[in-house]
Amino acid sequence: MSDYLVKELMVPLSEYATVPEGSTLFDAVLALEKAQEEFDRTKYRHRGVLILDKDKHVIGKLGQLDVLRALEPKDDDPGEIGDLSQYGFSSRFVRDIRKVHRLQGTPLKDLCSNASKLKVEDFMQAPSEGEFIDQNTSLEIAVLQLVMGHHISLLVTRGKKIVGILRLTDVFAAIFHTMKECET
Amino acid sequence: MKELEKLLDRIIQRININLRELDYDVNPFIKNLVPLNQMVKFYAFYGITPHHPLDLVFRHSSLAGSYLLGKICTRNSILYKSDIRGDELKHQGDVFRYQKFEIPVSRDEGIDIEDSFLVKTLVHNFSHDPETLEKFFIRDTVSAHYANIHGSPIDGSFLGPFATVDLTTMSDCVIGTFSYVQAGEVGHLNIGPGTVWVRSPGEFNFLYQYPLDKLNPYINFGADRPPQGLFIDFVEDRKEDFQRVFDVVNLETPVSVPPNTSLDRYAVIKPKTHISENVLVSQRAYLQNAWLGKGANAQEHCYIINSRLEGFNVSAHGATIIEADLGKNIFVGFNSFLRGRAKSRLTLGDESIIMPHTIIDIKKPLTIPPGHLVWGLITNSADLNLNSMTLKDFSKIDGGRVHGNLSFEGNGASFVSAFRDRIHHILEANGAFFNGTDNPGHAQKNQNISFNTIQPYTDGELEGVFPTIIIQP
Repeated sequence: MSDYLVKELMVPLSEYATVPEGSTLFDAVLALEKAQEEFDRTKYRHRGVLILDKDKHVIGKLGQLDVLRALEPKDDDPGEIGDLSQYGFSSRFVRDIRKVHRLQGTPLKDLCSNASKLKVEDFMQAPSEGEFIDQNTSLEIAVLQLVMGHHISLLVTRGKKIVGILRLTDVFAAIFHTMKECET
Repeated sequence: MKELEKLLDRIIQRININLRELDYDVNPFIKNLVPLNQMVKFYAFYGITPHHPLDLVFRHSSLAGSYLLGKICTRNSILYKSDIRGDELKHQGDVFRYQKFEIPVSRDEGIDIEDSFLVKTLVHNFSHDPETLEKFFIRDTVSAHYANIHGSPIDGSFLGPFATVDLTTMSDCVIGTFSYVQAGEVGHLNIGPGTVWVRSPGEFNFLYQYPLDKLNPYINFGADRPPQGLFIDFVEDRKEDFQRVFDVVNLETPVSVPPNTSLDRYAVIKPKTHISENVLVSQRAYLQNAWLGKGANAQEHCYIINSRLEGFNVSAHGATIIEADLGKNIFVGFNSFLRGRAKSRLTLGDESIIMPHTIIDIKKPLTIPPGHLVWGLITNSADLNLNSMTLKDFSKIDGGRVHGNLSFEGNGASFVSAFRDRIHHILEANGAFFNGTDNPGHAQKNQNISFNTIQPYTDGELEGVFPTIIIQP
């Protein structure tokens, strides 16, 4: 399909937003903003932050959806609503109840203020087995791995070390470029 | 007693295998549910009538204090003070209607209990599962005190105290304390305490959940201890009255009983009780200063005290009514607990439906107007406003409604109609509409019932186990 290798498409770890374990969500958002400012403006924006332990090993990823999930007020969403599905209520009914609860619950500003103080470890996703890819892997295999695992990024390895992140957007750009080459 | 201990271990193992997906270990809940030495203290008894098949087979089972009527088979099971009432089972030649099918019943239906432990449990009605019309089975199942298994074949499940499974085929489920389930067919569910769930797929879905902190004083249950709370204390306080009716062979009927009425000899009747025509009073019912109008009934584990029921009232299994005045055609559902006070009586208007597992416990007088649907926990008029609705208004619901702790989805008219039809059917089955020739029911058919007793081994390896017994005409 192409001659691209993962290491040619990945964002090096040094250019990606990272925060140490124990950081707050607000720290993560600031790190994302800073990384974006220093990143090549012609490329797609970063959409996540990597969480590092004290030895600088990646222990998790924090995506946009994870941050939004942190806004979910646990007190405003009693367990019974979640339970309704097991009792055969329609998803529409459950959704409507959630909407009512949300509108009657904590205002968004307060939710944001509360969430910013929460720890990243409580919302990050620990990387699964299928989320690692060697830097010398071809684009074809990278595409397969992204599609099969429904991932939006992969952690790129050199030996045992994580050296970068392969984003779906960068893979898509490479595929798009290849398509154009084929047609011309 | 070794054999009985082995039998209990076998039952626990089998149910745990069924509940492994829910990661639920019944062992700590069951081990001390009933001390096994109780199993030698009580005889079992069975009824003989010309109206019901007599086909009883007991193998490798303990039946202490239990009542059995109809076609029943038990294997490798422990039944403690349970009522296995086979007087509504299907007969050979009946036609069972289900959706578009009309299915002939090929032989008399039987209740088949295997590898199960039932404590003070009522088993009644018939299998509503079209896939098992002739066998109403209860397998690998444990039910705690005052549970009801009503028209519900069950496999691999645990029912907490005062739980009810009604017209539902159930497999591999845990039903929490004081929860009521009527949902057609369910599997692999862990339903928490104090849940009242009535579902007819495509028609309606009714779900009420008790606030646990408010339910616990009435009934609560945990590992390594028997159930506790007001419900248990209330029953324990009246235990001695039942002791007498079970100990004495020839009891005088304590009240005047009209010819079309059935008063079971194992019911407790205290002074100033009045029983009208076409009334059914089942075994283990308790009446004290109770006035029962024509066609009313008091089923198993019903307590009616200082109360008046005007007529055609259904007091379903386990319903308790204290210091209350009920109009006509009122349904009080399974295990409901209605308690007024001597100077603060509870008044219920005609045609009202008290949902199963409702608690009304008031300290000031409260009147429920006629034609209301009532559910959940009610301790005052504010609770009543939140947990009731006129049947007319409920019938107008089309879509969804959240009302306090109640979630309802579907068609309210279908829901009300289903309940009304069922109430009519219950009254009919109980003989409330008998006119001297037509519509006889339990109130008439159970009049000339006689009882025999059977006993377990009282010593040795088989202590507490009953010998294999086959009883047929």
